[in-house]
Amino acid sequence: MISCTEFIPAYSELFKFLEAKDGPKAVLDFWNYLSDRFLNNLRDLVTANGIRGCWLYWSRTLNEEAADFTMELDEEAGTFRIVMTHCPSKGRLMEYKHITPYHDYCGHCDVLYRRVLEPMGYEYTTDLSKCDQAKCSVVIKRKEQ
Amino acid sequence: MPKQTMTRKASDNVYLHKDFHGALSNGIEYIHEKYGAEAVRDYLRQFAGTYYAPLKEDLIRRGLIALKEHYDKIFKAEGGKVRFTLSDCELQIEVETNPAVQHLRAQKIPVARLFSETIRTVGEELCAGTPFAVELLAYDEASGRYAQRFYRKA
Repeated sequence: MISCTEFIPAYSELFKFLEAKDGPKAVLDFWNYLSDRFLNNLRDLVTANGIRGCWLYWSRTLNEEAADFTMELDEEAGTFRIVMTHCPSKGRLMEYKHITPYHDYCGHCDVLYRRVLEPMGYEYTTDLSKCDQAKCSVVIKRKEQ
Repeated sequence: MPKQTMTRKASDNVYLHKDFHGALSNGIEYIHEKYGAEAVRDYLRQFAGTYYAPLKEDLIRRGLIALKEHYDKIFKAEGGKVRFTLSDCELQIEVETNPAVQHLRAQKIPVARLFSETIRTVGEELCAGTPFAVELLAYDEASGRYAQRFYRKA
């Protein structure tokens, strides 16, 4: 069995495998597939709770992933933010001495979540400029009606 | 409504996100659909050959106890029910409760048709180039219960 604690390197190797098969588009196609089939929990929470659904979704996943983060929900303003001070996934990949992370590993978060949230009426903005230090930030904002 | 904030350090939580089993299952199914069954095995060989390289070295150096310790650790972390029978020449792993399949079934996440390759192919790759071999003795598709035997080649 591959443990869920071993998933991150399996994920990174999957991206490398797909890119070697068919180029970067093959990786993007997979991210779209995964977003459509696997992120129904995020989709359902936001459908039922609006912007608070983001808070509910990430307060479970980021705690289970043992991330270093601050999250902020402002329902009046319709915004939700995450400041990731140490991403557990990228951080782990960088710690392994015998593994080279997929060159655009952090790109998957942007594609997966944006694809769920934008069609639901939210702006999704991310800053990946420090992802080589396992840091990033995300702002999700309800679009004006 | 007031703002809500939450700040956490990595040390505040135990690293155990079982939904990752679902992402892996989807990844395997995607490769199967798009590139076929052998591509799934190729991917798992690539992953296992890379990620488990230190474990494989340990297997060569210390023998089957290295695999026993590895699997004991991950099944304990995930709360799986497993029995190990170890001798100098053989390690039998009997998994009564497979935490990956159990989680997928509980969350109604489809289990990839070739999910068992995460055991079979990964085991074979762990043994490739070592004095050991492996066979998957049994695998139950519904529950993920399985029995696997690693042994020293004659």
